[in-house]
Amino acid sequence: MVSRTVVGQSVDKLDGPALVTGQAVYTDDFSLPGMLFGKILWSSRAHARIRAIDTFAAERLPGIRLILHHGNVPRVAYTTAGQGFPEPSPYDSFIFDRKVRFVGDRVAAVFADNLIAAQEAVDLIRVEYEDLPAIFQPEEATQPNAPIIHDEEEIRGAFDPGHNLVSHLDLKIGDVEQSLAQATYQAEGTWITQFAQHVPMETHIVITYLDEWSRLVVRSSTQVPFHARRIISRLLDLPIQKVRVIKPRVGGGFGGKQEILLEDLCALATLRTRRPARIELSRKEEFVSARLMHPMKIQVRLGADSGGQLQAMEMRVLANTGAYGTHGSTVFFNTGSKTLPLYNKASHVRFVGDVVYTNLPVPGAYRGYGATEGYFALECAMDQLAAKMGMDPLLLRRKNHIREGETSPIFIKLGEGREGVDQTVQSCGLDRCIELGMKAFKWDEKRKNPRRIGSDRARGVGMSILMQGSSIPRVDMAAANLRMAEDGSFHLFLGATDIGTGSDTILAQIAAETIGLPTQRFTVHSSDTDFSPFDKGAYASSTTYLSGQAVYKAALAVRKQILGVAGLWFHVEPSTLEICQGVVFNRQGARLTLEEIGYRSYYLADQQQIEASASALSQASPPPFSAHFAEVEIDLETGIVRPLDYVVAVDCGVAINPELARGQVLGSLINGIGFALSEELLFSSRGVALNPNFLDYKILTSLDLPRIEIIPVETNEPTGPYGAKSIGEICINGPLPTLANAIFDATGIQMKEAPFTAERVWRALKRNE
Amino acid sequence: MKDFQLFSPTELEEALDLLTRHCGQMRILAGGTDLLIRMRDGQVQPETVLDLTRISALHFLRQDSNAIEIGPLITHTEVLCSPLLNQETPLLVQACRTIGGWQIRNRGTIGGNLCNASPAGDAVPPLYVLAAECTLASRRGRRVLPIQAFFHGPGQTVLAPDELLVGIQFPSPQPTPLQFFEKIGQRKALAISKVNMAFLGWTDQEGRFQKVRIALGAVAPTVVRAVRTEDYLVGKRPTADVIQAASDMIETEVQPIGDIRSTEQYRREVSGELLRLGLAKCQKEEHG
Repeated sequence: MVSRTVVGQSVDKLDGPALVTGQAVYTDDFSLPGMLFGKILWSSRAHARIRAIDTFAAERLPGIRLILHHGNVPRVAYTTAGQGFPEPSPYDSFIFDRKVRFVGDRVAAVFADNLIAAQEAVDLIRVEYEDLPAIFQPEEATQPNAPIIHDEEEIRGAFDPGHNLVSHLDLKIGDVEQSLAQATYQAEGTWITQFAQHVPMETHIVITYLDEWSRLVVRSSTQVPFHARRIISRLLDLPIQKVRVIKPRVGGGFGGKQEILLEDLCALATLRTRRPARIELSRKEEFVSARLMHPMKIQVRLGADSGGQLQAMEMRVLANTGAYGTHGSTVFFNTGSKTLPLYNKASHVRFVGDVVYTNLPVPGAYRGYGATEGYFALECAMDQLAAKMGMDPLLLRRKNHIREGETSPIFIKLGEGREGVDQTVQSCGLDRCIELGMKAFKWDEKRKNPRRIGSDRARGVGMSILMQGSSIPRVDMAAANLRMAEDGSFHLFLGATDIGTGSDTILAQIAAETIGLPTQRFTVHSSDTDFSPFDKGAYASSTTYLSGQAVYKAALAVRKQILGVAGLWFHVEPSTLEICQGVVFNRQGARLTLEEIGYRSYYLADQQQIEASASALSQASPPPFSAHFAEVEIDLETGIVRPLDYVVAVDCGVAINPELARGQVLGSLINGIGFALSEELLFSSRGVALNPNFLDYKILTSLDLPRIEIIPVETNEPTGPYGAKSIGEICINGPLPTLANAIFDATGIQMKEAPFTAERVWRALKRNE
Repeated sequence: MKDFQLFSPTELEEALDLLTRHCGQMRILAGGTDLLIRMRDGQVQPETVLDLTRISALHFLRQDSNAIEIGPLITHTEVLCSPLLNQETPLLVQACRTIGGWQIRNRGTIGGNLCNASPAGDAVPPLYVLAAECTLASRRGRRVLPIQAFFHGPGQTVLAPDELLVGIQFPSPQPTPLQFFEKIGQRKALAISKVNMAFLGWTDQEGRFQKVRIALGAVAPTVVRAVRTEDYLVGKRPTADVIQAASDMIETEVQPIGDIRSTEQYRREVSGELLRLGLAKCQKEEHG
């Protein structure tokens, strides 16, 4: 094993001191003279045509500078999804449309000298609506004579908008029906997930202004600065050359900021008034008019032979993508592609489903990206199967899960809304995840404990296993630029988008390890489309794995240049030199600091800028793996579920920064536990959000959490930088099935509808009495 | 937030004068944890606000002979930190501990919790079972009401527009009774009660209940006493069967509604379970 000095160390986050001392680092820590404040008028109707918009009274308020609505903005069909080009999401959105499709859809925007005036003007805009019949249940969307939500002629890329279908797929491998019929054991059920929000600390916010060259500058809390630049340019018919997107520090994204949500409006305001403009979503607006998680109804059928070998798997999905199809088909494809390969022994597989429009707020990308919903169904069905066989659910999984050197037909059949890429799993620590996890959790001992405690409580244990991916193979590119200053320090320019994840630090560690000096010698710049090389952005568990490869390549090239300069100095072959802690050594032990090399190459001899750029395009999406174990206690009279103990063993290859990897596991796990037990956005029968606030939409606090133990399981991914895979998403998928299986173990009841609130569990217990 | 005129008197008499003068037009600010949010949302837009926080005569906590008297400006944190209340009325301390988070408890007051008249106010059921009385004052004079007469309905009290709540008093529970406060919210902290319960019970030497008081919140337009269940428990030991029967009876004594936090049925059926949960905890403490 090569000894490493930087990779594998929990280096402090480079931006940590600035963040915790409250430096001006976020989008809103920045104000410009003459800045206009924008407020948006949202639709009060679920489905309606706009007959007229009367802005007369609003325009006459003092301080109102601009009112935008469908009558005075360009009409260009686009998708708000910040994805690679051409986007796999349908072009079904407009800056403003003549139609509204959910309560909370955009109707108009006011820009004023101050926020109060902007809000008062919004309240004075009169809109005349012609109400249309609306769809709130996804099952109704494809019924004959259902209202057509997207009847605009410009729509492109939706499967069948006339039947409200964004996507439809029926993928068959082998013969599932016959195999199920012949299977000794079968399991079957339908699992339902809810609307949930990402709830970032920082809501969506954008500030735009014109620079001294009259170029448009967009300062945005975004996960996708380059996609934002491209989409703004197309929407506003502005050359890409004239647009600069700056991503400052971001207060959380979780997928919700893989969207172009406010940039277009602020940009229009700035272009028309030549004044800076700002829009920030309130918490309520973030809940209703930003993005959510796709609610899904997933039917799973499994068939196994008498020994517990899976023969057939079928997954039927009905996904609700709300009023717009952003990320609709790709999330749905991931529901299958990130789950079904886990059990690659089954030779008969079917994945079939519809993604439908409804007149409800809009789901988009959400950490887990469809796998969360898929694992709920699949891993609960596995426990049902184990119960029918009288087999330890852990054993059933061990018999069936994918292993190193194996593949699955799903990899090539299912990609990002299209066919995928064939791949063999080259690193898989799942065996060890299960082994170490069950030992730490005391699985065997706990399974022997009595389920009932007294007359009114029950305890149970559950587990699940998971995989995800690292990057989107053969689609997304990442690049890095590395430049040395004369003091031997480095500027690392990244398109990779640190949104609080710590990727700036991790990528600097990869560069530091490769060149041979401490991480503190790097200044990281991410992201500014004027200066950063291209990177797809922060999504699809890509950054460490893919952007890391680009950084690694650039650092290798820089190292070669440094050694070249040192070789000239020492009059030796560069390959005979070593770099350690920022000092070059020759075989005789003579030293040359990077500072000496820097001054020489800047000013003294053979002058050249030591720098390199490199790009990476992944050829595979190596899955991280994880095993989750939980013990819960249920109060049988009130239905309250208390998670007591939670053990996660996780294989992300080599953790470049173990503490930051742990942070990702903990964050995604807590997100998943909240989603499993509490979080749910509710709607009235007219499609109005009932709890878009922290009073009634409860994310969990630390008091609600179980004891959590995280066990890192190291593997070496040969295609990843220093053996790394990505880890940002996988663990959000665990709590739903793990807690449901623990409740099943405790009570014999399979909770098939999330979240498992006290009241829902209580109702299930009563039904069972 | 709309502009408003703020009065911050230091004397109670001055506050009562102001209230009389601005009769019906004034909003009263104690901790502000509710009022300021509503003002920011635009739900209330008062012309004038009377800030009580500088009136020291409303900020006291004392024990006179057998009675405990709490000034309306006493915060939830002050309740938590009071040796007197920890000794005499742990259930009130338990209740205040479940209110909001640290910041809310540092600002929010007992008087505010009462005058807000939320059926889910967590400090209210303990005061019901402690048989508290409220002292109301105006320029016209003073009156003393039992706490159950203070509330009209959700958000409504009997306070006249010119009246202030100036004190809450109750007898020290003697001898020390069995007591608890229990609550079910959407999560463990920072959650409004779906249902809550305060319990006070005196037992004889054989462990039989001699006197019992039970009050429930969030299951009726105001906090309610479960009088029939109280009567039932008198003379009985808290055996599993007795507790079960008492739980069932409580369910018939409440009139909850369904809202976004819970359904009517759940509130009704788990309201009785709070008795079981609370007594189980008391017994656990007793035994170890």
